[in-house]
Amino acid sequence: MSAAQQRLTQVSGHLGGSSSSSGNARAKLLEKHPDDIVVTACLRTAFTKGGKGGFKDTAAADLLVGAFKSLIERSKIDPALVEDIAVGSVLAPGGGATEFRAAALVAGFPVSAAVKSLNRQCSSGLQACVDIANAISSGMIEIGVGAGVESMSSQYGPGAVTEFSELLEAHPESKNCKVPMGVLSEKMAKDRNIPRSIQDAFAASSYQKALKAQQTGLFDEEIAPLTVKYEDPKTEQWSEITVSKDDGIRPGITAESLGKIKPAFAKDGSIHAGNASQISDGAAAVLLMKRSKAEQLGQTILGKYVAASVAGVAPLLMGIGPWAAIPKVFEKTGINKDDVDIFEINEAFASQCCWCANELGIDPKKINPKGGAIAFGHPLGCTGARQVSTLLYELRRTGQKVGVTSMCIGTGMGMAAVWVAE
Amino acid sequence: MNGMLEFRTQGYNGYAVKYSPFFDSRIAVAASANYGLVGNGRLYILGLTANGIQAEKWYDTQDSLYDTAWSEAHENQIAVACGDGSVKLFDVSVPEFPVMSWQEHNREVYAVSWNLVTKDTFASSSWDGTIKVWSPNRPASILTLPTHSCTYSTAFSPHSPSVLSSVTSDSHLRIFDLRTPASASNHLVHLIPIHGPGSTGGISSVGGNRQNFPPAEVLTHDWNKYRDTVIATGGVDTIARTFDIRNPRGGPTTLLEGHQYAIRKLAWSPHLSDVLLTASYDMSCRVWTDGSTTAHPGIIGGAKQLGQMNRHTEFATGVDWCLFGAEGWCASTAWDERLLVWDVRAIMGQG
Repeated sequence: MSAAQQRLTQVSGHLGGSSSSSGNARAKLLEKHPDDIVVTACLRTAFTKGGKGGFKDTAAADLLVGAFKSLIERSKIDPALVEDIAVGSVLAPGGGATEFRAAALVAGFPVSAAVKSLNRQCSSGLQACVDIANAISSGMIEIGVGAGVESMSSQYGPGAVTEFSELLEAHPESKNCKVPMGVLSEKMAKDRNIPRSIQDAFAASSYQKALKAQQTGLFDEEIAPLTVKYEDPKTEQWSEITVSKDDGIRPGITAESLGKIKPAFAKDGSIHAGNASQISDGAAAVLLMKRSKAEQLGQTILGKYVAASVAGVAPLLMGIGPWAAIPKVFEKTGINKDDVDIFEINEAFASQCCWCANELGIDPKKINPKGGAIAFGHPLGCTGARQVSTLLYELRRTGQKVGVTSMCIGTGMGMAAVWVAE
Repeated sequence: MNGMLEFRTQGYNGYAVKYSPFFDSRIAVAASANYGLVGNGRLYILGLTANGIQAEKWYDTQDSLYDTAWSEAHENQIAVACGDGSVKLFDVSVPEFPVMSWQEHNREVYAVSWNLVTKDTFASSSWDGTIKVWSPNRPASILTLPTHSCTYSTAFSPHSPSVLSSVTSDSHLRIFDLRTPASASNHLVHLIPIHGPGSTGGISSVGGNRQNFPPAEVLTHDWNKYRDTVIATGGVDTIARTFDIRNPRGGPTTLLEGHQYAIRKLAWSPHLSDVLLTASYDMSCRVWTDGSTTAHPGIIGGAKQLGQMNRHTEFATGVDWCLFGAEGWCASTAWDERLLVWDVRAIMGQG
């Protein structure tokens, strides 16, 4: 660019003002400001199959300890500087408040680091990161950790939902909040006319992408290996194992092979174990602070958090959540789908993920380039925090910048957040 | 509006205007050919005479001129900020060429500001992300302060010889105190986000609507001449704000909203502690009160626009107040190749 052109661009920028066009909005996202909320470390444990994987005998809090220890080790942050830790978790009795605080102490955080647990169903991990980011930008804290954890091996089951009172049962929309996920997704697939062939093709591609990513080591940066105790189900022998790979990723999955599986929720249904997310165990954590703080401490900046949105939808249509939440976060940031390089949209079910992507007109190549929950699992409260690692490392590896993480939320909601890699 | 004087800077688009601190009839205008995008710059030294405004002298430069500052120590000397990264010092008694030229900035220099207390130094700021402090007698800069961000404006505090400030494209106001020891912070004492939520002072704002704005480039700022902790800023988000640096985390004290496009230059009145003059890309110049002399202590209110001058026909880029005589006289310059000298009292209640 010639000097005159550079000057012209600079002055045109002055005229853009707050009502800027979209190209300008992306450029604005990429700007660096001292009060940006940045990610200086993010990671997750491997995800393993519920009930039989490497973490089947590990408590949720122990997974969390592993994630926290790795986070401290990798970032080299002085744990005494961390003022608050938010942990998203869905199934833990009592929200996990007590054991997560204990886990933070075990991991090496001093008693001065506060801990809370929170539950917004499948978006809990993202909500935890957003809560911490908001606390930092409001000045309540300076450094915090957003995390998520779920041990579906030990805590998944019918006990996770309280009995509904007569009052709740009597309200037509209210009673839909407890319809099981599989049943309502089946209904949504029928309502929204998402044929099984499309779901199976989407699911098979998730498996294939994840397999390729695993084989080429694309998960190595985000996964922190964790050594745990494990009981061999056959020999009943206890041993110590180090888990460093997702065990849900399988080779040889095609749309045809998935086509042979029986539907799980209705005889004439389309949803089955192969095109829905896997039941898994895992934990993830994200270290957040202002850019000015990160620079002062000499922390490596991986990316920044920009904005988040949450949206409600009808409980029976909970799968359309991302379709409601993503445009909302676009509105806040002024960008559109073309400004985004990668979308991490949680694959709760192939049906809903596929439907949302089609409705929003997102290029399929941009969605979950390393596969998703169908291939490697969806430990409910962990997923939102896991997506941050999956997204930022992939954006950095490919030299891309802008990413969106999003998921649908049980009882009818969606959440989305915009991140920028650096 | 009667009584408005005009001078045409033919072929040169105005960028900045400054009244001489020594003579009530002398005004300098920094202007550039081709809107400052490419081509020469010209510094006009103008005299207010009985026959209107006359050009006493002008100096041509190789590249565009974006700002100018009169020496506070020597009545004939004046510094300019150049597009080629140079800072030059002219002496009105010396024809044609500058008496000093310093080539240290790597990009366009956008502001110069003289030290109003010791009067022996001045500062410049540049798109290269630095502020430099100079002495007219020295061949190289005395000090370089990094901002790491395109720095549109820098200013010495009118109350302290060692405090200076800057605003930048990263939406922050920086305060430097040269009395602090040189360290990793490079004398930076405050880093204030312009776009933060409004003041926490006063009853009405507690739990009220604390507005957050997106970050926006800040183009101009000025120290209040009476209250030594008050600074006004203006920039791309069209809002003029005042800050009290005693409470750097408190956000802006007042928001002055009205301009349609970015505010390019603002200046506090040398006569009235609450009055502010702004020039904007919306082609208007506006006069404001920040409400500080009318409001009850502790309650924010009364900040409002007092008047509007719409005679410029292109981006208004420079304003300055006359230090002498009656309290309302000011000058403005714009891309319409005109310098206007007018009395803000004539436009009160307009707009």
